Amino acid sequence: MATAKEMELIKRLQDAVINYKVADAKKTAEEAVAAGVDAYTVTMEGLAGGMEVVSQKFDTHEYFVPETLLCAKALYAALDVLKPHIKVQAGGARGQVVLGVMQGDVHDLGKNLIKAIFEASGWTVHDLGRDVPLQKFVEEQLKTDSDIVMLSAMMTTSMVGIKKLIPMIKEKNPKVKIMIGGAPITEKTVEEYGADTTADNAPNALREAMKMLETLRKGKAA
Amino acid sequence: MSEMTSLERVATTLQFKEPDRVPAAPLVCGASHRIAGVSYGEWSSGDDVDAMVRGHLDGLKLLGHDGVVALVDLSVEAHDFGQEVIFPEMNTAYPNYDNPFIKTLDDYKKIERLNPKKTKRMKSVLDMIAGIAKEVGKTHAIVGFVYGSLGVMSMMRGPEKFFMDLIEAPEAVLPALQAMDETLLEYAKAQVEAGAHSVCYDHLYCSQSILSKELWEKFEGPSIKRLCDTIRGMGALVSLHNCGNGIYFDMSLKWANPHAISHAYVADDVDGWEEHKAKWGGKIATIGWIPPGPVAMLGTPDEIEEECKAEIEIFSKGGGFILATGCEYPPNAPLLNARRIVEAAKKYGVYR
Repeated sequence: MATAKEMELIKRLQDAVINYKVADAKKTAEEAVAAGVDAYTVTMEGLAGGMEVVSQKFDTHEYFVPETLLCAKALYAALDVLKPHIKVQAGGARGQVVLGVMQGDVHDLGKNLIKAIFEASGWTVHDLGRDVPLQKFVEEQLKTDSDIVMLSAMMTTSMVGIKKLIPMIKEKNPKVKIMIGGAPITEKTVEEYGADTTADNAPNALREAMKMLETLRKGKAA
Repeated sequence: MSEMTSLERVATTLQFKEPDRVPAAPLVCGASHRIAGVSYGEWSSGDDVDAMVRGHLDGLKLLGHDGVVALVDLSVEAHDFGQEVIFPEMNTAYPNYDNPFIKTLDDYKKIERLNPKKTKRMKSVLDMIAGIAKEVGKTHAIVGFVYGSLGVMSMMRGPEKFFMDLIEAPEAVLPALQAMDETLLEYAKAQVEAGAHSVCYDHLYCSQSILSKELWEKFEGPSIKRLCDTIRGMGALVSLHNCGNGIYFDMSLKWANPHAISHAYVADDVDGWEEHKAKWGGKIATIGWIPPGPVAMLGTPDEIEEECKAEIEIFSKGGGFILATGCEYPPNAPLLNARRIVEAAKKYGVYR
């Protein structure tokens, strides 16, 4: 059970993320480290808890992209301080994803929001950036044994690379799940390109990823 | 009713009257480079205006659509303001986000008012409009295109930093936007002078996808009003483009009072296309909303026809509708699919 001090720090971290107070977030994280509280607990309950509220506000159109980006900025300011003190194995509680924007495409706003929300929720994110060569996705998935590969494309010209890439990934690892997203992507694209799912925003991407991870882990347990 | 010219057809529907048939304008913009027989990079550079004019004119003959939209790509304005742009041979030109023109808040001061007629790429668009207008200005709708200042500035700063600056450093952003808006106003006027019947202003961030209504109003409301009032004052029509989700039609009406909006999704205050038609159909004409990726690009002929038929059934009554893709026709999609859209308008969109 969290101590009174932990509870106070968690609440302050949540507030700092929700109200995008970057300096407050960093200062509270430093206090948490100095106080010797469990960094994983305050990260998950403070930062992830705050980001969950941000996701709800984004879903209900109380927050939009600028506000959400600023919340992520506050989150990272605290996470940078707490991360070296977190004692969990990579990919432990949640899963691992490889994430990137398709070759020929530099629109990485959505990808970056997804990264923030996933990291806040305890996922390990291997972010390949934008304009990523197809082979790089395959190599990174194999290297990290990630559960999910998430591909982003904002243009039809970059979207077509997904059709080529999915068989390349599945050939090396048939069990890996593929999520695709971006303006031109629809359920039809998912079906036609052989992906597993899509999502139209970052919170929905997290929900879809949780579902896929559950399926994967059930498969492993069976 | 005798057959109208394309221009009459478009003008009639924008007055919320029924023309001979639903006009079709599948926003074949960048894809025209393939008709002109030049690479996408050559097309976008603006070095060969004759090829750009030829691409659009031959496109009209080949596909049969009712209007030309003078969008080259979204980097035109940013490039002229100083942003480094990359021109792939087979892909849309884009800003080099590793080298943004605005690297620090102080760099916003570097944005200066330009004379569009003395720039490289805006000038090439003006020349292209003039070339097209000379040939088909009396028969076809010619729509100019201006990417809104919020969009242009985000290309020069990088979208993430720009969006955060809107909240964290508005005092740095606003003067730069004002200098840019002065230029875009002159650019829009020059497009009308070159022969555009309408100017389409892309206010992409006026949607739930990106900004709150309050933030959008603060940064783009007054400038879009001035630009749109000026266009109307010149006797041209005002159109907007927005392919974001949940577009603020109420804000668009309040600040731009457009004749039409080219859009891919419904307004933020309705649920579904029927409701959109009922609420907004008599106030702002719809140019749309065929999904570019799944239908125009990946759709089978039957799927394209079904989509067009369904949209015409919902939207054609009383005019105020141009059948089009919800965003630019995919530059790499089969051109025959654009012709199928026009054919569907002829088959299912005849007013009796």
